This record gives sequence, C-alpha cells and structure tokens, in this order.
Amino acid sequence: MTRKLLLLACCIFLLAGSAAAIPCDRDGDGTLTASELAAAILDSLDARFMGGTVQAPSPDDLRDAAFVYEHWDGRALTITDSSGRTTTLTRPLRRIALFNSDSLEMLRSIGLGPDRIVGVSKYALEDPTYFPEYQGKANLGSVWSPDYEQAAAVRPDAVFLYATISQSSCDDIEKTLASIDPTIRFFRFDSYRPAAYADEVRTMGLLLGKAEGAERFLAFHGSVMDTVAERIASIPADDRVPVYLESWNDYKSAGKGSGYDEKIELAGGRNIFADTTIEYPVVDPEAVISRNPDVIVKIVGAGELVFGGYGDDDPAPFEAVALAIENRPVWDQISAIKDGRVHIIHSDAIGGPEYFIGVAYMATWFYPDLFPDLDPRAVHQQYLSEFQRLDYDLDEHGMFVYQA
Amino acid sequence: MAPKRAVLLCVLIFLFAAPVTAVSVERTLTSSENNLEVTLTVMDIPVGGIVETIPESCTWAGTDHPDDQTRVSGQKIAFAVIGEEAIRYRVQGPSEAGKEIAGTWENLQTGESGVVGSDGPGDSGEVAQTAAPATPGFEWAAALAALAVLCARRCGR
Repeated sequence: MTRKLLLLACCIFLLAGSAAAIPCDRDGDGTLTASELAAAILDSLDARFMGGTVQAPSPDDLRDAAFVYEHWDGRALTITDSSGRTTTLTRPLRRIALFNSDSLEMLRSIGLGPDRIVGVSKYALEDPTYFPEYQGKANLGSVWSPDYEQAAAVRPDAVFLYATISQSSCDDIEKTLASIDPTIRFFRFDSYRPAAYADEVRTMGLLLGKAEGAERFLAFHGSVMDTVAERIASIPADDRVPVYLESWNDYKSAGKGSGYDEKIELAGGRNIFADTTIEYPVVDPEAVISRNPDVIVKIVGAGELVFGGYGDDDPAPFEAVALAIENRPVWDQISAIKDGRVHIIHSDAIGGPEYFIGVAYMATWFYPDLFPDLDPRAVHQQYLSEFQRLDYDLDEHGMFVYQA
Repeated sequence: MAPKRAVLLCVLIFLFAAPVTAVSVERTLTSSENNLEVTLTVMDIPVGGIVETIPESCTWAGTDHPDDQTRVSGQKIAFAVIGEEAIRYRVQGPSEAGKEIAGTWENLQTGESGVVGSDGPGDSGEVAQTAAPATPGFEWAAALAALAVLCARRCGR
C-alpha cells in the first residue's frame, strides 16, 4: 500500500505542471483580456486547421482560459470556504473528489453534472436511487474510513470535505492527501447548515462556474424560506408552538445551537429543550411531560430506524414509531399526543441540503392556518425534478412523512 | 431535385439526426451580383471558435467581426467567438459558390464541436436542418464537413 502511494505520488509530481499563472495571459499581468483570449483561440485554430506554425496553447490551457474569462472576468478567483480558509485559483477545478455527499447534492442543485467529479463517498454509491449518475465513480470510502489509494489514484485537483463535523477526520484526510500531492486544493463545506447554506451555494457557484445555477436554486430555496419567515414573523416568541424534537434514538433531542434547533426556530416553533447547551442531549421522559409540547417531531431514517426515504414505500414502520410514542407511559397527558400532533419525518427530507423541505413541513404542522397554500410535498417534488434532475415521482414512491 | 441529391440529403439526415442536441452555428447567405454576404448565427457558444473554408472561386472581402478576433489564411477564415451572437463576412464570387462554403465550430465551454449549418441561395433549406450536430471532436466534424462539400460538388455536376 505504502509503495503504491509513493509510486502514485511520484507520477503526480511528474504530471503536475505550473498552475500559478492564468492560462493564455500573455503579458502576465494577472488579467486575461478579450484580446489575449482571442489571440489564443485564433492561434489554436490556425495551428490545427489552417497550417499555421504559431505557438498555439494546449487544448487544456485554452479551455481553462475560456472558463476563467467567462466565469471569473479573466482574473484569479479568491474564495473563502466555510472553514475560513482562503484559496486563490487561476484555473477551474476539473477533477473533484467529494467525501461529503451533502456537497455532492448541493453541486447538483446548482447544475454541476458528474463530468467534473472523479470520486465520491461510499454513501453516494450505496444510494443508487438518489445518486444514479455517480454509480461507477471511484469509491473514496468515508470521512471516517477513507480509501487513500483510490483518492490518490483519481488524481483530484480538488477535494471537498466537511467544514464543521468530523473535523479531525477531515484534517487527517487533508494531511495525508496533501503529502501525496501538494497541488490538491481542499475545500470545506457542510452544505446542510441553514445559517451557512446560501453563502455556500453562492461560493460553490462561483468556484465552479455555476453562478447562474446557484442564483436560480437560491431563488427557489428563498421562495420557500421567505414565505415561512414572513408569516411567522408576527408571532410573539411566547406564543410560538412548543415543540419536542426527537432523533432516531429515543429521548435524544436537540439542544441550543444544534441543526435541528435552528430548523425548529426557522419553522416558527419553540424548541422545549433550547435551554440545553448540549447539542444533542438525552432527555428525561418526565421532562418532556412537564414541558408539555404542542407538537412532537420524530426523525427516522438512521440508527435503529432505517426505513422510509427514497427506496422504501411502506408506511407501516412510520405508523409503528408513532404508536410507540403515543404509548409511552404517561405521555397521553402531553398536548401533542392528546391533539394528534405527532409527526414522523425522514432525515432525507430535513437532515441535509434539502432541509428547507423539512422546515416547510414543520411550518405547516406548527401553524396549519398560516400556511394553507404551502405544499411541502410539491416543494419536495420540484426540488427532485428541477434541481436534482431525478426521474422520481413522490406520488408513486418514497415515504418521508407520517402524522399519527 | 436530382435523385443523387435526394439520396445525399437522406444520408446526411441519417448521419446527423442521432446525436443532435441543438444547432449551435447557422450560416445564412445573401448574394448580389458577384458578392456574397455570409451571416453566422451563433447560439449558446459564449467562448469558442469557428473556421470557415471558402471555395477557390471566392475571394475574401472583409468582415464586421473585430480584427483581433479574425484570421485569414488562404481560403480559410478563423473567428474567435467571445460572446458574439452573429458574425458577418463578405466574399466575392459567384452566388452558387455559397453552397460550397464549409465550416466547423467549437465550444470551449462545453468541449463540443460541430459542422456549421447552412441555409442560403441554391439550398432548399433542408440542409440547415441536417447540420451542426453537437459532437466531441473538432477534427471529426471538419472531416465530415469536407465530405459533405465533396458530395455536394459531385451532386451539383
């Protein structure tokens, strides 16, 4: 294994060229002008089709120059990722390896196809229903168990990792791959956190020449989130619906600052365990009874509750989970159970880059009178058809939400 | 229409029909006396190149395209496309020479290339429908364009 990695590293060093200058920037002033690009195009056409003997740019240089001119105004691009790291690029990224499948989904949202992706996480490969076009790409393993040999073998020019979760694992991956090929650029994005979501979409759009696609997607995302935000804005904090959220582990809730706490707040709810500083606390069942939530939201799709989602149409396990919650000792005193407001939602509709679908669902559950015209299922379908470009009909397949 | 030309058109339609995504460059010809004005309409090529080959019976007479985006060498004219949606150029020669103009285009954003479609004097318009497939490989497109011109010349005799 070590010998193979060394061999790969040697090959990469031999193949690596100068990447510091903007291609076809003849005067080297750091700006590729229209005139410089035109000269490069004409030299290339001349050499290939007109019998010219001019020194023509390589096809790769020409394509990269076209990209830089078209998408970066002919200049180097400096971006800051979600880890705060600043990177300057003089060429587009053409061979991207992603350990973060949430970022893979976000890239699809902004219109990036699989052509520039050379490797993906094992989770994307284990989900052929949701990531059909990536089946056959190199399997990079996971953040926790990376396949370095595969990652190096695909010769990525960029590797995408998580920004704020599994930081030490991501640091290790970065360190190891950088030692094999120091020219690899590393980018950290979470792609699922609401607070950073729009910035990440825009940064990726700029980085990959998909700025228009990014804005188009954000307009869709904003149409949902803005509708929710505008209508809940007038509800005083004390009048907001008290919500108990439980993950796939019984009694494991969401504390202040956690992703799910943020999502409850965005949907206009009041997290009954928002006073807990632990991100995902295991709570006392008695505490849930005493705090008496109006709505209970249970997440399934992971842990011991792996069912539902895109590859499963059966509502029975959802029904069983709801029933089990209703039958917990003394929980029949809780308003949410008395009023039939226990909702089950699959993590694929709330836990990742599609979180806004879950927020839309929760908003309609919390305040049905405020959102008679908001159809979260239609939002979900549009997300799949228009932005994920999936031929998937929610009327025929999938199991994402259930109300007791 | 001569039988040979009909067969040629059928063959071209068959050849080009399958991989077509969209016509990216169309050629429109207008002629007066001994002058031909050629308009290349460029669609969805933000940055790219076009090479036109004019027949021996024509001589280059100029273009509205910027000088620094145009290069002429013998019967070949290269245009650098940077955001333009139309390129006009003029040649002197008999009006029937227009159908012998051949061209290829290349989209540097997508890597696609193809044959310039034509629709001008002497053509029925059907040729325009058959031209300009989006295909990888500029050289392949150039070879096919040359073949089409050769066939057109033979059919015209």
